[in-house]
Amino acid sequence: MPSSSKTQTRTHSKTVNNGGSAKISVRNLFKVFGDDPASILPMIYDGIDKNEVQRDTGHVIGLNNINIDIADGQITVIMGLSGSGKSTLIRHLNRLIEPTAGEILLDGDNIMKYDQAALRQLRQTKMSMVFQKFALLPHRTVLENALLAPQVRGENLQGAETEARRWIERVGLGGNEAVYPHQLSGGMQQRVGLARALTSNAEIMLMDEAFSALDPLIRTSMQDLLLELQEDLHKTIIFITHDLDEALKLADHLVILKDGFIVQQGEPQHILLNPADPYIEEFVSDINRARVLKVSSVMQNDMKTKPTHGSVKGGMSLEELIAKAEGDIDRIFSVETNGKRVGSISMKSVFKALVRYDLKK
Amino acid sequence: MATYSGLFDALALRDWCDASATKSLMSLRKLKGEEVAWWDVPFPSLDNLHNACAAIPQTRDLTAWLEDSFLVIRPALRFFLDPLTQPLSWALDGTLTLFTSLPWWCLLPIIMLGVQFSAKSWRITSFVAACFVFFLFIDHYGYAIQTLSIIFVCTVLCTLIGVPVGILMSKNDNAQRLITPVLDMLQTLPTFVYLIPLIFLFKITEPKLYGLAIILYSIVPVIRLTNLGIRLVDKDVIEAANAYGMTSNQKLINVEIPLALPNIMAGINQTIMMSLAMVVIASLVSAPGLGTLVLDGINNLRLGVGFVAGFGIVLLAIILDRVSKAALARVDGSRKI
Repeated sequence: MPSSSKTQTRTHSKTVNNGGSAKISVRNLFKVFGDDPASILPMIYDGIDKNEVQRDTGHVIGLNNINIDIADGQITVIMGLSGSGKSTLIRHLNRLIEPTAGEILLDGDNIMKYDQAALRQLRQTKMSMVFQKFALLPHRTVLENALLAPQVRGENLQGAETEARRWIERVGLGGNEAVYPHQLSGGMQQRVGLARALTSNAEIMLMDEAFSALDPLIRTSMQDLLLELQEDLHKTIIFITHDLDEALKLADHLVILKDGFIVQQGEPQHILLNPADPYIEEFVSDINRARVLKVSSVMQNDMKTKPTHGSVKGGMSLEELIAKAEGDIDRIFSVETNGKRVGSISMKSVFKALVRYDLKK
Repeated sequence: MATYSGLFDALALRDWCDASATKSLMSLRKLKGEEVAWWDVPFPSLDNLHNACAAIPQTRDLTAWLEDSFLVIRPALRFFLDPLTQPLSWALDGTLTLFTSLPWWCLLPIIMLGVQFSAKSWRITSFVAACFVFFLFIDHYGYAIQTLSIIFVCTVLCTLIGVPVGILMSKNDNAQRLITPVLDMLQTLPTFVYLIPLIFLFKITEPKLYGLAIILYSIVPVIRLTNLGIRLVDKDVIEAANAYGMTSNQKLINVEIPLALPNIMAGINQTIMMSLAMVVIASLVSAPGLGTLVLDGINNLRLGVGFVAGFGIVLLAIILDRVSKAALARVDGSRKI
């Protein structure tokens, strides 16, 4: 199993956070589907192959030794193709699915030890969830849907209503409070889902393929909305997706799953520049690298080289830099983040970084 | 000599057979002692075996035994069922008295309001009004109201009992396994068969007799469709309810019942239609209403009386079906996904 837990941590240009202490820690999590999951565990510890288990015992390995630290106030994206176990994984975080083995620590508290009441308390107050198929209550209006969490908690709805109206306004649904979900388009329904999660006021937001069912354009605008909200809220967001572009756009921390185990995790730009194995290489090969890679990921850390053409921001994409350099390959820029010089970047290194990993060999 | 005598002789059971035998009249064939041709060998049924060996009971002994044992347990059954079902009698009596004692110009607007409230359609309300005016005009209004009030009481009770039972079935697979055969039986038993044990159990003048017959017959669809409806609730929505920490009661009230409501109402619609079918047959056991006119038509060969009452029943069926379907459609329309 590729070990990549020690990826170097870099400060991501997008987030202002308090250093990324682990909010949720997933420790040695296993999930086996079948009649007698516990009996399969020893075989998995011995390193048996997923297909072999399925053929011999009829059990399916859903998750295989998952270890993730989910940083406080950041967006952790879990990416994988269908069947990789990503939806199974996110449902373990609030125990919609029970693991076969392993523990999940929330602020150092093992939620596997929670009884039903404590678990409900956790779901009511600490974790909200957004679903791929929206999962709104069809017989309730937008406002009533947004009020779900306070209603479940048994709070005074009068006070919660102002809060709900504020979030409905914020996600761009102002004026639709009295409308029923079926009268809204898919993108608008998911905005209701988002407003519902925000109204619950939970510090952790689980988003299960939240934007996958939407049209590309609407998806992009929803991603922008989420990033914009995150600027203010600094929630701990766990986002599931099968779309690499979406993952790279949103992630502070990217976890790539394949067949139930983690192939690589770390800072997305780092994964893009240093894919751990051929699977990841293939995965990232179709990406528009100029648009995704950032100046701060490609720059050299030297402060001495004299820039020929002034300074650029670290968060700038390479595409923007190339435009700024007018295609001239000889230019060198100094890189600044928050007004401080952090390194320099030459256009030569930019063009080298655009080459796909497998062609460099 | 009966066909199977030889068999008992061969098994050396003759003494046992004859020990309990009382001398009875012998049939002509027995007297003659004719051998039966192989072509005519009868099946060894109870009666045929009895002919050969008197110790074996006849079929009529079996039915007599059933009857006797039913009569033995009858007091015990009555002891429990009588007080248990007494409210049904009161409800039926009370509603019948209430509905029939209200003057037509008072009850009719109430019915119209009820229809307008549940169906929210002027077309249906005016159709119902026209039907009732017709009933009034041909002097069948009283009978129609009697039939309606019986259906009303039985449907309310079916819903009150059926919905919780359906919910129980949807939550508990064992309950579903146990109750499904009972529902199958209730649905397949011919309607007349319901009446037999009930006639033994209760006095024929008691309203609960036909009340029970109607409820037993018509409760099945509401139970089945409640069970089905709750089992069919979108799994994604249930998951969302779980993810936001709902208790099972909150889920039931806020998610499952509202989402299953179209199915439950379809079940109630079926229940109404079935109780209408049964209330006609129940006129055999003193249920008042249009059914008595049909019965009169059959018993006294009064074709016209039977036809007009039959047409009245059809009108009632159309009214009940349209109103309940309109209510269902109204609920359904507000919750398309």
